[in-house]
Amino acid sequence: MTMQLFKTPNINFMKYKYVALAVTGAVILAGFLNVFFGKGLKMGVDFGGGTLVRIIFKNPTTISDIRGELNRAGLGESVIQESGEPKREYMIRTLQFISVKDAQQEIEAHEKLGNRVIEILKGDDGKAESAQGLKDLNNIDLASLSSLLKPAFPEKAEEFAQKIIDFRVHKTPGSGIIEDYAKLSGAGIGPDVIKNLQGKTFLGKLTVVSKETVGPQAGADLRKKATLAVVWSLIGMLVYIGFRFKLEYGVSAIITLTQDVLMALSVYSFTNREINLPIIAALLTIVGYSINDTVVVFDRVRENLKIMRKNSFEEILNRSINQSMSRTIITTGTVFLAVLSLFLFGGKSINDFAFIMLFGSIEGVYSTIYLSCPVVFFWTQIFKPKKGAPRTASRKK
Amino acid sequence: MKKGLSWKIPLTAAIIVISIALFFFNKIHLGLDLKGGIHLVMQIMTDDAVTMNTDQEILRLQDVFKKKSITFASMLRESSGKFTIQGLNADQEGLARDQMDQYLREWDVVFTGASATATMKPVALQTLKDQAVDQSVETIRNRIDIFGVAEPIIQRYGKEQLIVELPGVDNPEHVQSIIKTAAVLEWKLVKGGPAPDEETLLKDFGGKLPDDMEIVKGDPKREGEGFYLVNKVAAVTGKDLRLVRRGQDEYGSPAVSFQLKPDGAARFETVTGENIGKRLAIILDKKIQSAPNINARISDQGIIQGHFTVETADDLVLVLKAGALPAGIKTLENRTIGPSLGADSIRAGFLAAMIALVSIMTFMIVYYKISGINAIVALFLNQILLFGSLAYFKATLTLPGIAGIILGIGMAVDCNVLVFERIREEHALGKSVLNSISLGFSRAFRTIFDSHMTTIISAVFLFQFGTGPIKGYAVTLIISLVANLFTAVFVSHWIFDATHSSKTQQLSI
Repeated sequence: MTMQLFKTPNINFMKYKYVALAVTGAVILAGFLNVFFGKGLKMGVDFGGGTLVRIIFKNPTTISDIRGELNRAGLGESVIQESGEPKREYMIRTLQFISVKDAQQEIEAHEKLGNRVIEILKGDDGKAESAQGLKDLNNIDLASLSSLLKPAFPEKAEEFAQKIIDFRVHKTPGSGIIEDYAKLSGAGIGPDVIKNLQGKTFLGKLTVVSKETVGPQAGADLRKKATLAVVWSLIGMLVYIGFRFKLEYGVSAIITLTQDVLMALSVYSFTNREINLPIIAALLTIVGYSINDTVVVFDRVRENLKIMRKNSFEEILNRSINQSMSRTIITTGTVFLAVLSLFLFGGKSINDFAFIMLFGSIEGVYSTIYLSCPVVFFWTQIFKPKKGAPRTASRKK
Repeated sequence: MKKGLSWKIPLTAAIIVISIALFFFNKIHLGLDLKGGIHLVMQIMTDDAVTMNTDQEILRLQDVFKKKSITFASMLRESSGKFTIQGLNADQEGLARDQMDQYLREWDVVFTGASATATMKPVALQTLKDQAVDQSVETIRNRIDIFGVAEPIIQRYGKEQLIVELPGVDNPEHVQSIIKTAAVLEWKLVKGGPAPDEETLLKDFGGKLPDDMEIVKGDPKREGEGFYLVNKVAAVTGKDLRLVRRGQDEYGSPAVSFQLKPDGAARFETVTGENIGKRLAIILDKKIQSAPNINARISDQGIIQGHFTVETADDLVLVLKAGALPAGIKTLENRTIGPSLGADSIRAGFLAAMIALVSIMTFMIVYYKISGINAIVALFLNQILLFGSLAYFKATLTLPGIAGIILGIGMAVDCNVLVFERIREEHALGKSVLNSISLGFSRAFRTIFDSHMTTIISAVFLFQFGTGPIKGYAVTLIISLVANLFTAVFVSHWIFDATHSSKTQQLSI
């Protein structure tokens, strides 16, 4: 009484290898053309340097409003993207070309640009209130808020301040900004406190969720380290698979992984997303899953080579892929589910990561069937054509 | 009991108990991306320290020469670790040489005619640079301690860089200004100015900057804009301070009052005594705070004025107390993450993880029936082991780290699927229940081991060469995978063994 998605199928996967190779080639070529002659890959702050500011507005604001403001201030080249809370939360990346001689001035210039973006978007908001000595409740820190409440509530000032800050950080929709004083009752403080606050504070128009500046030197450093990490981990995998299986399997695995990375980057290049450190982690995860998948199939091939002595190598490859099929679908399905939930509910910080993983988890299966196996097949065709590949390949290590 | 269950069950139980204990007795640190805070990578400009040291040596040697009545035309710094003396008297060369040998042990001195060039020895130079880095780390640590931030990380990174991580800071701008202030305080004699620009300033000197002087700008927040011409060599510096605290000037405005150490006080006395009526500039980080007139000889105490508020005066006291940075600092990377972004990520990450777990569990039970429960037990144990280990290694959990965990869960499910599919296959071939289980595990093990090892190897390299987020990801992935080999293979196997016997006819899989 076992539940099965399907019986072990008998699909002639290898029959379509040329079609598949053509498709793969087309996707990668499209990516190449796009990267070098089209939109290009967008380097994020981590690698490209510059400043990335995340801002949340108290009231709904549109991209064109923001762009208009920035244009007027000569910062029109910035990239503005909605992120998180719709119409209220935005990521702004300054892309102004800065020509200064030394790196230190450059990072300072980037920081200043970031600050200027914030200033411009704030506009005159809060200036009148600040002049009256009011503090911005949406940007105040715990200690200052606490001392602000001290005169009226000497005993409980700290407790109230903590509650208000917690409310601002955790409970507000989109988090980080209080829309109006009425909402503050959700923080668990009495109306007397709110009334007191109204006399001493105002609610600023926006708050800065994060601000990241990476200088050219650090950017280059991060780039170098990420490349090193990727190259070494690929070499590590090549050596291990070559050692556990055979050289051609190791080579095939590395070619497959290169395809995984290229295809993922190709698709990514057509989106507006940027390459940052977590994306490198995502690419490596795709590679990890793909290698896992490849190893599972190769393992079957290794086993079948001993059993199916009379069959051709192509038949053995087909059989192995078919035998692993139900496992592959179930595993990939669950991984896909996990990544999908990450993509849908994982929040804005991890969205790019989940997006590329979503594609990669499926692509990894495809690459095992239509690159790992064909490469091993072609290798045996070229280097061991005579006696029939299976026998030669089945020679024990 | 069969097949070593008598040791397998207690071993598993012990590991679980230890993991739970580790989890409760240690704390898992949340990374800045989850908690909010500041991450700074800074480069220490060690050349500054060498320059300062060179200036001090010049001052000291001038003193020595004066005492020994050795005459010379000029003694000037050429570059950060090199200075030249010109116009030495020919018949005093021997005497000068003796003095320099005695006082400049860490310098190579070369005499050419009437001039001498001193260059700092490479070993001394390196030591000085190393000290500058160590001292910078120490100074910043002091400042953060006085300021009060919980769980700060301040560490040396590479040769001349340092990383500062301050979790949970809610007033990042303020903290940053405190860290970055070099707090190099110098008192230098004013030779000209203030002037609106450099040309006007140099008019009296024929438009050329004299060798022993430099131009310093006024701090717009304090003294006001304007250029000053001051002596290159400082009379006293922040190092000579014995005591600083917030005080008041004669108008009752906030100021910083100071006392000098005896050594510095003696120098201060000489300089002020010899220059009554002239102005003495108080320079903080190459910007003039104030340039008061010297009205009388001052020995060991005074105040620094400069339109301070109570807060800015307190900040200056703080940085002066913690000590100056021995060298300038330049920022390479500056990330400020507000607490709300982290809170949002945790909330979202947790939700996503829960949804993923529940959907995976539902699927496993529907598809594999009772064996599915086995898989879920293994998955739970895996998480217990993972969090116990994270706590034990004092690992920092980051956003990519959460991704690593979710992917570890995926791999754990894969282990079970591989085993279960194999068992099904063997059972379908007509093998007995126990035999199918045993064969399923042993056949699948090779696959599981190879696929896990490949990923672990790549993760180890990521850990070795990666930075920040990539490292966080590698850590959780490695631990997850190692835990997998234990839970999905070892534990899952003995649960099968314990729940099935040779009499079991039905295999619920």
